[in-house]
Formats: sequence, C-alpha cells, structure tokens
Amino acid sequence: MTPGSTPPGRSGAPSAHPGAVPPAQATSPLAPGGPGRGHRTHRTWSPRRITAALVAAVILVAAVAALVDVIAVRAGRPAAFWRRHLADELATRPVDDVWMLTGAAVAAAVGVWLIVLALTPGRRRWLPLRSPAGCPRLRAFLDREGAAVLLRDAALRVPGVGAARVLVGRHRIKARADVRFRDPQRVKDDLTAVLGEECDQLALARPPRIVVRVRQRTD
Amino acid sequence: MSPRSALNRSLLALAGLVLLGGGLLIFFAGLDVYRWHGLVPPAGWPLTTPADVLLGSADRARWSSQGWWWWPAVIAALVLTALLALWWLLAQLRRRRPGSLPVGGTPPPDGVELRDRALSDAIAAEAGALPGVDDAAVRITGRPAQHRTRIRLTLTPEGAPGATLTALCAGPLSTARRCTGLPDPPTEVRLQARRHRAHRVK
Repeated sequence: MTPGSTPPGRSGAPSAHPGAVPPAQATSPLAPGGPGRGHRTHRTWSPRRITAALVAAVILVAAVAALVDVIAVRAGRPAAFWRRHLADELATRPVDDVWMLTGAAVAAAVGVWLIVLALTPGRRRWLPLRSPAGCPRLRAFLDREGAAVLLRDAALRVPGVGAARVLVGRHRIKARADVRFRDPQRVKDDLTAVLGEECDQLALARPPRIVVRVRQRTD
Repeated sequence: MSPRSALNRSLLALAGLVLLGGGLLIFFAGLDVYRWHGLVPPAGWPLTTPADVLLGSADRARWSSQGWWWWPAVIAALVLTALLALWWLLAQLRRRRPGSLPVGGTPPPDGVELRDRALSDAIAAEAGALPGVDDAAVRITGRPAQHRTRIRLTLTPEGAPGATLTALCAGPLSTARRCTGLPDPPTEVRLQARRHRAHRVK
C-alpha cells in the first residue's frame, strides 16, 4: 500500500494511529468503553451451502447411475460392470472382512461429520462486531485474518518491537513480539495497552482475551 | 436461520444419521458386538453375525420374485430421488435477486422502480470512498418486498472497523434509506483487511 493510493478525506500519514482518524469518526459511538451502546451482533448460522451441494451431487450421481443401469437391464441389455462387481463383492464379503469394516468406519465417520456440520453454527472465520447505534438492522463481521493484520500493525508501532506475530482465535488473541531495544517488561506493558486499545477500534462484540509474550532479540 | 439453512441442515443431519447408522450396523455385526455383550437383536435385524453378507442370495431371490410392479417401483423411486437431489443441488447454486425495488413506499405511487444493481452500485461507490476503505462490493438479495443488503469491505492498513461501520451507517446506508424511502433492510457487513508485509515505523 503506497501513500499515493490514499483515498481523499483521510488524515495524512500512514503511520497515524487509527485513533487519529477524522473528527467525525473520533466521536464514534463505538469509541473505547462503549459496548453498552450499539447492540451486539450474534453469530449467524452458515447455510452450509457447499456441504449441501456436495451431498446433493453425490446422491444425484448415484441415483442417475443406478437408474440408467436398471432401465438398461429392463430393456434387455446386460448389467454394467460396476453393478455386477459391486453385487458380487457385497454378496461374497462377510461383514468382518477388513474392507467392509473400513468402509463401515468411513461411512460412520462421514455421518458423524455431517451431523456435526448440521448442528454447529459454522462461520468460525468471522468475528461478530458491535453494530453502530444508528443502524439496528446492521450486522457486521470481521475476518480473523484481517483482525490479525490490523493488530500486528498496531504492535509494530510500539517502540522497541522488532517483529510481531499475532494469532487471532475466536476467544483469545495471542501476540508474540521480538524486542530489539528497551526494557522487555516495559515493551510488554506498552504492547498490552496498545493491543487493548486497537481491540476497541475493532469493535468486537465479545472482546477476546489478549495474551502477550515478548522475547529479547539483540542480534 | 434462513429457510434454506434449515432445510440444508435437516437434510445433512438425515444423511449423516443414515451413514452413521449403516456404518454402526456393519461394525457391530463385523466385530461381533452382540455376542460379546450377550445382546439378542430383535427378529428381522439385518446383520447379526460376522459371517453375514450385506447382499445375501435370499435377499436377491426375494427381490427378483416380487412380481411385475417391483421394477417400475424401483425406477420410480430412483427418478424421485434423482429429481429431489437435483432440486436440492440447484437450490444451493441459485441466488435470489429482487430485480427491481419499489421506490417511495409499497405499492409504488407512480410505478417507480429502482434496479437492484443501481442501488448496490450507488452504495458501493459511496462506501468505497469512505476513509479507511480500500474496496467495497455490495449485493442486494431477497425478494423486492423483503430485500437484504450484503456488503463486503476491504480495509486499508489504516482502517479501523468500528469507525468504518459508524461511517458506513451514517453515510451510504442512510443515503440509501433516504433516497429510496424504503424501510431499513437487514444488512450484513463483512470486513476484511488486505494482507500486506509488516513494515516498521522508523
């Protein structure tokens, strides 16, 4: 991102803290300490479109293949190879055969997985955000990777931090930083403060716990 | 939860139960669980001992001797299954779009309508110009009477989600509400931040 691509109406330097955005936004109802105002966004349930499409496609293919073969046999043609083979195997292999047990285990595992997908909300990638006070029907989400990028940038603004890695979980944020100069303990305190402030900027509906670890690196 | 989500989840749970039940049935018989635990399966239980096969010759003989109606019934059942699966699959691929929205209240006083694309383009243009927003994509979905707005925003490294949401609510969304005269539609906003290399402030 070059400074030249800065859209109009933005406060100048790219190094500016997000808190120093234009005045209209500085008075945001989502300013730190405002979780009471604006309402919380609940997690939405994913429609599970991809899984549903996959299962539907498998059923469709199996049904059409069986249909074509049944009709072909009714019309007097010999059964397809796969059908004879399948019927043979199913008729000769007892259920304690290793292939039968493997197949049964796979089927049961896929079944459990489908049931889990059906009963859990999904959308683990998206963190719900607090909605602004003026738009009650707005629901907003921030993706976890994006949150990590924003938090890492904030961590790198702390003097003394040489490199930082931020992992954003659904309930916890882990930040690891290499300290190049200054007292590690003070850098850690600064980091905790800065990350907490940045977290407020993210307007997360459920503020996660922040765990900061620092490591001295003077090479 | 939307109707499609409820339908998908019910059917997925059903498919999962069928697979799990079938797998466990074979597993119990194959590992001889019934005998080890002294359980007596009820009469007509499909698989009971490790020597059973899934497709016994007795079953095959019974199916072949059902009379003239058997194969037409099988074909009908397969056709029905295939059609339902096709409908389910197409329901995943289809996205309902309102086409055009009535402007100025329902029913529109003078038959004035607004193309959904025009509205989403207008919102996207205004949202994309907000400070801290790199890119905005807007889609209007649902039926004309109950449309919903889906917005995807990509933030610049300096963007702050909370401030951006407030600006979005005060800017493009309130403009859209004012211009169309429609009640506030349910709106879903997804925020992303573009990945970029870490660069330290010197």
